[in-house]
Parts: sequence; structure tokens; C-alpha cells
Amino acid sequence: MTKISLTPDEHTSLWNEFRMGDRDAFSRIYEIFTADLYRYGFNLVRNKQLVEDCLHELFLHLHIHKSTLGPTNNIHFYLYRALRRRLLDALKKLKKYDSDEHALNHAEFVVESFEAQYIEDQDQIRQQEMVLTELNKLPKRQKEILYLVYMKGLSYQETADVMDISMKSVYNTVNVALTSLRKYIRTSLLREGALWLNIGFIIHMFFPNI
Amino acid sequence: MRYSIFTVEDFCKDADFIKWAVSPTPDSDRFWRTFMESNPHKTEEVQLALECVRAIQFAEAEPAEDDLLALKRRIWKDVETIRPVVYRRLNWAYLAAASVIFILAAGFWLTLQKSQLTYRTAYGEVREIKLDDGSSVTLNARSEIRITEDIANKKVREVWLLGEAYFKIAKRNGAKFIVHTAETQVEVLGTTFNVNTRRKQTRVVLAEGKVQLLSGNNPALVMKPGDMATIGKDSQVRFKRVQPNHYDSWKESYIVMDDKPVSEIAEAIEDNYGIRLQFQDSSLLAKRLSGKLATKNPEQFLENLSTILERDLIKTGDGYIFR
Repeated sequence: MTKISLTPDEHTSLWNEFRMGDRDAFSRIYEIFTADLYRYGFNLVRNKQLVEDCLHELFLHLHIHKSTLGPTNNIHFYLYRALRRRLLDALKKLKKYDSDEHALNHAEFVVESFEAQYIEDQDQIRQQEMVLTELNKLPKRQKEILYLVYMKGLSYQETADVMDISMKSVYNTVNVALTSLRKYIRTSLLREGALWLNIGFIIHMFFPNI
Repeated sequence: MRYSIFTVEDFCKDADFIKWAVSPTPDSDRFWRTFMESNPHKTEEVQLALECVRAIQFAEAEPAEDDLLALKRRIWKDVETIRPVVYRRLNWAYLAAASVIFILAAGFWLTLQKSQLTYRTAYGEVREIKLDDGSSVTLNARSEIRITEDIANKKVREVWLLGEAYFKIAKRNGAKFIVHTAETQVEVLGTTFNVNTRRKQTRVVLAEGKVQLLSGNNPALVMKPGDMATIGKDSQVRFKRVQPNHYDSWKESYIVMDDKPVSEIAEAIEDNYGIRLQFQDSSLLAKRLSGKLATKNPEQFLENLSTILERDLIKTGDGYIFR
């Protein structure tokens, strides 16, 4: 793991410095988060111009209204939510969509194969491909949920807030995804020669007190 | 610890675990390393769960470096201008002239004289006119100026203004230059100034030099740089000290809000672009804004204004409503 992220405390203090009017904090927030927001926005609307306009407005808004913004311990989450709302509003204004679903019909979250560094086993590779195909068949909104949870590391509550949906939908989607992944997990366990772990685990399930 | 009985799947669903897998911090690294050390039988599961979480990878288009830089430039440009504006002191030595802003009423216009040049601008149009005496007039949108004939050779150079204009008057052997408006007349010797004759009053803002106002039966009033004189229908003159460059920024297609109420900004937009603005929440009209916004593209400007006001912008027949 090469990427080290800010801790919640660091998020809080960076955000507070910014809200107090620290110009440096504003720049740092911009530098840390913009590229990532751009990627998320682009996945949502597939329109560079729109993403850039909304980011422009968003950061201008933050700058102007910094003293009235609420606190957060996850700037990522805060900005994802703000950007998504802005993009939706802009799309609705542009095209007069009546619902989020339609406004985001260009959204495209593509699950891609990850670096298979340990995988030599053909079964393993086939299994991975199947998982990807299954995940990619999910509706866009569900893929967006998985994107926010597994790619961006947002909590279920944060994901629900960003997308304006219930936490239950987030849970359900995660469960659907894990059903696909389960097959993969099983072959992985076998490959790892971790069968004994599996057995041990079954024993554990039946005799939890052992 | 509940994690000691977690399955791979449980880990894959655990928000804290996911957070560590996706964006580790020194704290979470420490936590999970300690966990694995004290629960060696779970090491395998943790590894597999990590692999699973990372298996859910989404394709992401990397924004081009150029696009990011361009975006930053445009955001920073706005951020800079919206900072509390620091005013550079003008170098008076360079500018041997005055700048004045007028707002005039519409009534007097009927006192037309023969054989004069008239220039007129449309909504959104700003036009610079060179006069034969070496002076120049920048006419704001939807304004009209009449210029006396053969101005270069007159002892008294006269113009009649309706709307708003910025004047740069060349000195000419002591020949007076007079701007007539419905409420007053502004006499200058050589100066730069801006006159606006809207909203049934004349507002004169003098940036440099010296002008005198003749309104009604009042004795001549001399204005100093930085003075703003507002002359109403009743010929009453009110003085106020202002930053002159806040009142002629329309030449460069932006508006300096400088604590102006929203109502005044809305009037300017209506005057210059013919776009009528309504506010569902009328208390917004009294709200004072600061900073500076480009008006070259009025739609863009309104979008920005709606951002500042935190209101939705809805198109109506002849304008927009902020909701």
C-alpha cells in the first residue's frame, strides 16, 4: 500500500483551517481532492465540460461561503456529495430531466480487472472474469454504490448521503456484489491451500465455543 | 474482538475494513497489523478479503494534466477577484484628467438641436466613440449620446446623454466640455469621467480632475475625485465618497459589487441587458454582496450570481427568477 490517506482528524483540522479563511488550506484541499472529484464526476456524466464547470462553481462556492459551511471529518465525502448534486442540477437544467435516473443516463461505471499478480491458476482467472462480468451487469446506480464503497472507501452512511438513497439500498447492493464475489473467494481459498482454514472455520461455526 | 470470528465475506462488508483497504492511514495500518499479529488464524482471511475488495476496481479516466491546470487557472482567477479587493492608489500624475459617472433621467431628451451626431447602443452593446476634438466616449448598453456639431472648433463642447457613458475628455485651449442630462449639467475642462442617466436620476462619479455641477437653481457645486453626486428630479444633490473604479467597470465587462445591494445589481442587469430579474425571496434584494463578477456573458453571470445567492435560477419569459 503506497497511498497513505489523511486521517479523520487531519480531515477535520484541514477543513476547519479552510473555514477559518486560511488560503493555504483552500489550496491544499483543491490539490488533494480535485483530480479524484474529476474522475468521479466524469464517470457520472461523461462530459468533461460539465464536470469542469461544476467543479469551478463548487470551489468558488466553497471559497465564498467558507465561513458558513458545516464541519466534516471526511472532505472526500463532503465534496463528492456537493459535486454530485451540482452535476445533477446542471443536467436537469440543461435537459429538463425529471428524475435522477434519467439525468444520469450517461453514467458509466465499469468494473475492470485488477492486477492479477498472484494468479497463475486458469480457474482463478476464469473465475475473476466471471465476477467482473456479473458486476458489470448490475444497474448503474448499484455500480455507483460499489464504486463509492469499494473504490473510494466511503462508509455506507456516507454513500447513502452522497447518492441521496437509503442505507438499506447500500447494504443490499453490497450483498449482491458479495454474492458474485463469493464464488471467487471460494476458488481463492482452495488455491491458497487454505482448505484447512475453511474447515476450521466450519468447525468454528458449529462449535463457536471451541 | 468481533473481528476474530469474521469470515472473508464479513471483512469485505465491514466499513472500517474497506476503508483501510482503500485508503489506509497510519492508524488503520497499525490497527490491522496488530489484529493479525494477535489473531494469526485470521491472517489468511484478511489477505483474501483485501484481495477481494481490491478486485472491485472501476475504470477511471485520468483527467489530462492540461485540463486540470486550465481548470485551476479559471477557478483561481475568480477566487482572486472575489477576495476583498485591495485598491491600488491611482497614479494621479499619469492621469491628468477626471473620471465622472452620471445617471440621468429620460425627460430632457426632447430638447433636441439640429445637425448633431447621435450614437445609440443596443442591449449588451458597449461602444467606444472617438470625437473630433480628441476626446473619447465609451457608451454603455442601451444608451444614447448626441454630440454637438463641429465639436472640435466649439468654444463650448456639448453633449447630451441618455443612459450611461464614460468620458475621456481631451483638454482643448480652455474650451469647456459640458455633459447635459435631465437633472444636471456637468462641466469639465479636461478629464475622464463616466456618466449614467438611468433610473430617473443622474449619478456622477469623479475619478480624477475637477468638474462642476449645475443643477436647477443651485449654485455650481465642485466635485473632487472620489465624489459621487446623485441628482434627483428635484435637483437635490447628494454627495457620497466612493471608489470610482467600482462604477466604470462595465467598460471591462464586469461588475464590482462592493457592498452593493442585490437590487442595484439587478437594476444594472435590466438596464444593460434587458433581462428582468425577480426574486422569490424579496429579502434577497437588500442583501449586500462584495467582489467582482464578469458580465460579458450575462447567462454565465446570472449562474454565478445564483451560486453566490444559493438560489436556483429559473428562466421566465423576459428574464429569470431566483428561487
